[in-house]
Amino acid sequence: MKAIRGGGRPVEVLLVEDSPGDVRLTQEAFRDANAFIHLHVASDGVEAMAFLRREGAHVHAPRPGLILLDLNLPKMDGREVLTHIKEDAGLRAIPTVILTTSEAEADIVKSYQLQANCYLSKPAQLDAFESLVKSINDFWLTKVKLPQQRQSG
Amino acid sequence: MAVIRDINVHKDAEKHLAQMEGRYRGLLEAAPDAMVVVNQGGEIVLLNVQAEKQFGYRRDELVGQKVKNIIPEGFAERLVADALRSAEDALAQQIGAGIELTGRRKNGSDFPIEIMLSPLESAEGILVTAAIRDITKRKKAEAHLLQKVEELNRSNEELEQFAYVASHDLQEPLRMVASYTQLLSRRYKGKLDSDADEFIAFAVDGASRMERLIQDLLAYSRVGTKGKDLLDTSSEEALQQALLNLRGAIEESGALVTHDPLPTVLADEMQLIQLFQNLVGNAIKYQSPGIPRVHISAAKNGGKKWIFSVQDNGLGIDSQYFEKIFGVFQRLHKREEFAGTGIGLAICRKIVERHGGSISVESQPGQGSTFRFAFAGSERKS
Repeated sequence: MKAIRGGGRPVEVLLVEDSPGDVRLTQEAFRDANAFIHLHVASDGVEAMAFLRREGAHVHAPRPGLILLDLNLPKMDGREVLTHIKEDAGLRAIPTVILTTSEAEADIVKSYQLQANCYLSKPAQLDAFESLVKSINDFWLTKVKLPQQRQSG
Repeated sequence: MAVIRDINVHKDAEKHLAQMEGRYRGLLEAAPDAMVVVNQGGEIVLLNVQAEKQFGYRRDELVGQKVKNIIPEGFAERLVADALRSAEDALAQQIGAGIELTGRRKNGSDFPIEIMLSPLESAEGILVTAAIRDITKRKKAEAHLLQKVEELNRSNEELEQFAYVASHDLQEPLRMVASYTQLLSRRYKGKLDSDADEFIAFAVDGASRMERLIQDLLAYSRVGTKGKDLLDTSSEEALQQALLNLRGAIEESGALVTHDPLPTVLADEMQLIQLFQNLVGNAIKYQSPGIPRVHISAAKNGGKKWIFSVQDNGLGIDSQYFEKIFGVFQRLHKREEFAGTGIGLAICRKIVERHGGSISVESQPGQGSTFRFAFAGSERKS
């Protein structure tokens, strides 16, 4: 399997998602797509930033190779999280994929203006969602070349 | 001497008045409106019973009074303007085309009036006859109507917004139900018992149908909330795009879709495409065995509008359903016969109405159907 990148380490993915149903569904879909993925979950924007900046309980958090970001989140919404990521020189190179139910043109435009790497809307059908997760895996975690980053520690 | 002369003048005037009364009384009392005759000095010379009632005065309290006492503003100005007007002009003025002013009753209360003035030649010079109509009821009705229109507009907007938000927000929990029942079905089918398989299948089917309904409801509410400005649009290109979107259905059914040259119209292009797509899609879908034939044409209706026709050789529709089929979620067939939520034609009607037109159908069962709708032509000269 080609999913292992950077010297055989598993791929770290941060999922920022507040709905437990969506979290589980994404876990299931990734489990089928790529067994070498570590899926970390932050259930709001504040926790996501703490994870990425290794603050508080997240001191030992790995640097993710991909961020999947929902837009509507409690405390700090996805747009703010995206702004913070892209303003941070140490974080902005991490591909950040918006994964949301919103199909509103305004959300799409805003996300790209804030430098989202791509915008995906969650399909209602399980098959379609699974194939979307497969595509994310095949492209962002397999095909895409990214700058070499030193991992934590 | 001066006193005696004054008395004489007064007596003359009284005599005149008595003569005038005799002459015009019957005429004035026959009028349905309050009638007040005013001299050039703005004094009331004559009035009828309706005028007494309307303003709450006795006749002798008003005769000789300034008309300003019962019509505080606007009347004097009209009087000057009117004196200069020819009798023909005055006669040409239609009832209902009068000027709206405010009347004041003896008790000081105001009420809206409409007055019509016409000159009347007499021995005293030109007098002006004022027909005064109390329009309190009409004003109230107008205000009421205006308020209702505003309320209706507001509630329409709210309803569209509601439909949009509801259908949008319903998608989220629905996605959970649909995804997890599908996951259940995939992982546990055949591992539980046959009842469980059946129950899960119903749940999966229900969730799928609900998803289509919500999608369609969203599409329906978007016609109003997400519509674009109406611009010059080639209806032929819009049709081509619609046919491209339908190519799967066209190829599968072997349908023959033909069209005449089609005009440029004022339209929201996306909505025109959707309109053609729904109508041609229906024409292909509701077919008896055989090759579906669909023809699209357009003709000027004499005015600026183009009447489009989408004609098919399909199943046809019984005339009792001509109105019903344009309603939301209205279907004429069982789900097993034809899939669909029954919103396609409701969307068509909403699109056409947003463009200031109307849509109708002509059909006989077994003879095919023709859907017609009107669109305004391009403003530009072609």
